[in-house]
Amino acid sequence: MFWSSITGRLTILYTLSAFGMLVLSTVFLYRVLISGLETEDNEFIDDKIHVLQDIFQKNPNNIEDLAEEMKWERTALDSSPYYIRVLDQSGHTLIETSGMSGIIAPSLFPVPDLIGSVNLSKNEIKWRSPKGKPYLLKAAWAEVVPLQDEREQRETLGRLGFEVGSLQRERRLFQIALDVSDDEALIAVYRRRLLIVLLLGILFSAAAGIVVARRGMRPLKEVTRVVQRITATQLHERISPTRWPKELIALATAFDDMLNRLENSFNQLSQFSADLAHELRTPINNLMGEAEVALSRTRTLDEYRHVLESSLEEYGRLSRMIDSLLFLARAESRDTQIKRSLLNAFKEIKAVQEFYESVAEEQGVEVTCQGNALLNVDPILFRRAVSNLLSNALQYTPRGGKVTLSVKQTDDECVEVSVSDTGSGIDPEHLPKIFDRFYRADRARSQHPQGAGLGLAIVKSIMDLHGGTVAIKSEPDKGTTVTLRFPYASDEQTGDVSLEPK
Amino acid sequence: MHVLIIEDDKKTAAYLSKGLSESGFIVDATDKSDEGLHLARTGDYDLVILDVMLPGRDGWSVIAEIRRSGKQTPVLFLTARDSVQDRVKGLELGADDYLVKPFAFSELLARIHSILRRSPVRQPEILRIADLEIDLLRHRAMRGGKPLDLTPKEFALLSLLARRKGEVLSRTLIAEQVWDMNFDSDTNVVDVAVRRLRRKVDDPFEKKLVHTVRGVGYVLEDHQEQKG
Repeated sequence: MFWSSITGRLTILYTLSAFGMLVLSTVFLYRVLISGLETEDNEFIDDKIHVLQDIFQKNPNNIEDLAEEMKWERTALDSSPYYIRVLDQSGHTLIETSGMSGIIAPSLFPVPDLIGSVNLSKNEIKWRSPKGKPYLLKAAWAEVVPLQDEREQRETLGRLGFEVGSLQRERRLFQIALDVSDDEALIAVYRRRLLIVLLLGILFSAAAGIVVARRGMRPLKEVTRVVQRITATQLHERISPTRWPKELIALATAFDDMLNRLENSFNQLSQFSADLAHELRTPINNLMGEAEVALSRTRTLDEYRHVLESSLEEYGRLSRMIDSLLFLARAESRDTQIKRSLLNAFKEIKAVQEFYESVAEEQGVEVTCQGNALLNVDPILFRRAVSNLLSNALQYTPRGGKVTLSVKQTDDECVEVSVSDTGSGIDPEHLPKIFDRFYRADRARSQHPQGAGLGLAIVKSIMDLHGGTVAIKSEPDKGTTVTLRFPYASDEQTGDVSLEPK
Repeated sequence: MHVLIIEDDKKTAAYLSKGLSESGFIVDATDKSDEGLHLARTGDYDLVILDVMLPGRDGWSVIAEIRRSGKQTPVLFLTARDSVQDRVKGLELGADDYLVKPFAFSELLARIHSILRRSPVRQPEILRIADLEIDLLRHRAMRGGKPLDLTPKEFALLSLLARRKGEVLSRTLIAEQVWDMNFDSDTNVVDVAVRRLRRKVDDPFEKKLVHTVRGVGYVLEDHQEQKG
């Protein structure tokens, strides 16, 4: 659950990395401390051994000097107790710090190499007494090098022919035990502190992680706040990409684009509602008015009949409007399916022409059909589209004019169906909106009372259903051409297509 | 002819009862689906007019029950919902026809007639109304012994009106039957075509046969014959 929020993830990752760094650095410091203490202890022991070796070598037979030295050192450095034992070549203890034998037996010490060098080999070991006290143990040999004059005497004697025995070298083994419990205590304290530091560190880095993640996410929150402010009435507001960090610019831009589209649709929708209300108002007003007037006094039967007939006409208008609106609404829903079949396009436009023949003749407008093509479309919808176009063309074409219906197979396997007239044309300013619902180019002129201004919107939605397009070209006083362009629809695409042309 | 109406909207039921009674049907109406189902199963009706949206048991369930009980009484659905799925569902359940509200009463009458007529009746080859004579085989029409000069579509229109003599035909139905234009449109095409037909069939003669029923449609009948 925590992982599902970006803040949560950032916090966890930040805390882990900060804590990791902290652990690494404390481990490093701990190691440095331990090795520092070890080095110090070793140096101390080596130092001691050097001093003792020195004393011994200067005066091999004087134990008292050694004892003196040992005593002196003990009193001087009481804080760091150590024990010294001196053994002869055969392993007999010559002298030792008082009480040492009770604690550390000579056999516990490592056995150093038998060399006369002053160079001390690294042979110290750690040992824990039965009481639990830790000691650092080290042993080293010391040799008495024969004095210069003694050697010379012997050489002289040898040259003179005296029998000289081999020179007996004196050796002593120094064993030193350093009580390192202070070190251990120090390390234990240090370790405890490090643990506390680590515990505090993880808490602190978690807290810092939360703060950092929150801070990092703050622009996102602000975007959310800005977005939340936008309601249906404030769709003109934009969240302006420039205000935001780089990462959010793409989001802000996309969001603004979406707002643009929404505002557009929203405006269209409210325009549509207003138009719808307006279109409903007229017939309903007629109905109310006529009924009211009719009922205001006694009428003849014929008058009542007249009112009823007139209201029936209005109801018919309303009912057709509802049908058209439902048609448009259904065409917009995504799951609307159309039933295509293969048609002879010329026959279809000819049928529509025949339907309008009487109207055209009455108006003195000549309607002709031309071209040839095969179409894979919904036959009812196709006729409806062409019928709406022809009906419009006839309305706007004066006596003596011409309307041409034509079909054409284009090079890219599309079929174009166009309806052109020699009528009054449409002002260019109206063209972009001509396919909107209820939009009428001649809103002011009411000389063409037919229809509710949904005809072209229906044509457009029929084309949308077929995946086609509709284009309009018009020149005032010269005429208008509307072209429907049906894309090539293969049989596989359309499923059950009856192969027989209707 | 005995018709059962199952419809919960009082106004609709009332005007349907009135209109159908006046058209010569014997009408029973109920606003409860269970009562309607009982009547349909036990009674001997020629047709059931059934609303889809009924309180309690809906129209789908009523027709399913009627069919389950073995009754094959024709059923005509009325509904305000007209998605394709709804139509298909109604027809699958065994409905004979489907009308979407709002509908013209004349349309309903026409559908009822067509359901009840479904058993094919041999059309006479020559129709006679007053002094109008229509030869359906030869595509010829005469009035008062004189041949009428009609275009093919005008002939189709006239013979449609003559075949459904006395029945008011809506503009939508006429456009469907004569021109195969299966959609409602706001155009006045049918009015113009009827006007032109009248010019040839009625204008030269004293007795008018094609009549306008304002707001509804057109009917061909011999008024004197009806009165007499």
